[in-house]
Amino acid sequence: MIELQGVTKYFRTTLGKKYILKDVSFAIPSNVNIGILGRNGAGKSTLMRMLGQIEFPNQGKILSDKTFSWVMGVGGGFQNNMTGRANVKFVCRIYGKSKEEIDRAIAYVKEFSELGDYFEMPIRTYSSGMKSRLTFGLSLAFDFDYLLIDETLSVGDARFRKKSKEALMKKIESCNVLLVSHDMGTLRDICDVGIVSNNAQLHFFDDINDAIKMYETINK
Amino acid sequence: MRERSPWQVQKSVIYALFLREVNVRFSAGKLGYFWVIFEPLMQISIFVMVKMLLFGSKSPLDYSVFITIGFVAFNLFRHILDRSMTAFAGNKGLYAYKQVKPIDGLVARILVEILITMVIAAIFIAAGLYLDRDMNVENIGMVILGFLWLILFSFGLGLFISVIGIFFDSFLKVVKLLLSPLMFISAVFYSMQNMPQALQSLLYYNPLTHFIEMIHDNYFSVLNDGFIDYEYMAIWTIVPFYMALWLYRKLEKGIISI
Repeated sequence: MIELQGVTKYFRTTLGKKYILKDVSFAIPSNVNIGILGRNGAGKSTLMRMLGQIEFPNQGKILSDKTFSWVMGVGGGFQNNMTGRANVKFVCRIYGKSKEEIDRAIAYVKEFSELGDYFEMPIRTYSSGMKSRLTFGLSLAFDFDYLLIDETLSVGDARFRKKSKEALMKKIESCNVLLVSHDMGTLRDICDVGIVSNNAQLHFFDDINDAIKMYETINK
Repeated sequence: MRERSPWQVQKSVIYALFLREVNVRFSAGKLGYFWVIFEPLMQISIFVMVKMLLFGSKSPLDYSVFITIGFVAFNLFRHILDRSMTAFAGNKGLYAYKQVKPIDGLVARILVEILITMVIAAIFIAAGLYLDRDMNVENIGMVILGFLWLILFSFGLGLFISVIGIFFDSFLKVVKLLLSPLMFISAVFYSMQNMPQALQSLLYYNPLTHFIEMIHDNYFSVLNDGFIDYEYMAIWTIVPFYMALWLYRKLEKGIISI
């Protein structure tokens, strides 16, 4: 279970406070895959970052006894002057993996991400699609309760997209996913329940199809 | 995933960041090893030469050793401060992982500087023995204590400057400006006892002078250690450290999402 207790989140801008969430109390049930929908700027990514504990509410609390992956967003989460391999090693180390586990993870990520020689090159030489492959492949080498995926499934070429989706379908047999996406097909395939973020409030739907309906209404 | 205590997590993060720093600093093509040893060598040769030309080679102590110790200590302080100042912004990409806190990157950088200083010191000690320089230390325990205390002092000051500097860019500029003449006012290549009275009382306000004097005076028995004010050094260690930690605790979340 993930529980939001009176969560308020805003950003200070030159035009005053811009609210992402305003006093939101909310419980997300366990063992379901959750799709998050909302218009651009509604705060989907901020919500993900708060669940990933790298962004913090201005007021209120987010409670959960589950483990969350890092947020797999487009391009983020890597140090540009490190090689793909060094980044994989780094992440394995901060999660306390042993030497053998690190070697296994490197072999797996290298194979899965299909980066070839780029795996030995600094991240700054990567395209955003390549970064997504690396971060997604890397996350598959860990056992989290929840994977936090922010639109990364919709980048990359068609073949790799298909491969990622298949890998994800297999992975979610043993874990759950929180997915931000603008691709309704992906949301329907992967998610059971849906959350729509709109006007600094969150709306929960037991059925992802109902969430998609609401999203389509507010987008009209 | 197995449960780990916060301390275990932080330890593995600092270790990973440490390896990363070493990797970046000493990766091929950047001449990392070369600069690390070349910088102090240049400083030492220049100041030994200037001293010989201006005052001749007559001296009650082994001047080359005096200057080497001065620069090793001064560079340690200077590098810890310089590296601290860019640490928070430099590891920004890695705050995407919740385990990585800004202070971990700063600690990792300081550990790298300590390691580099130890390697340099070992090289100079070997060279000193080989070239038959004055290697008789008056009080080796106090010299080591001086270095350890200097590290603590630099850490506190570095953290303090970094926490404020990440929010006020101009603060960093002012600090850099203040630091630029520091080499000349910190008793690096001269001893306080040889300075005129008026200058002494001014240099006295510079905390770094006391640290370098402490190290120098405990190495050479001919030097008088009466200038060192341990209380002043303690204040300059505790106050910035305490303020820095207090501010850091309050502002950590802001630094992560900067």
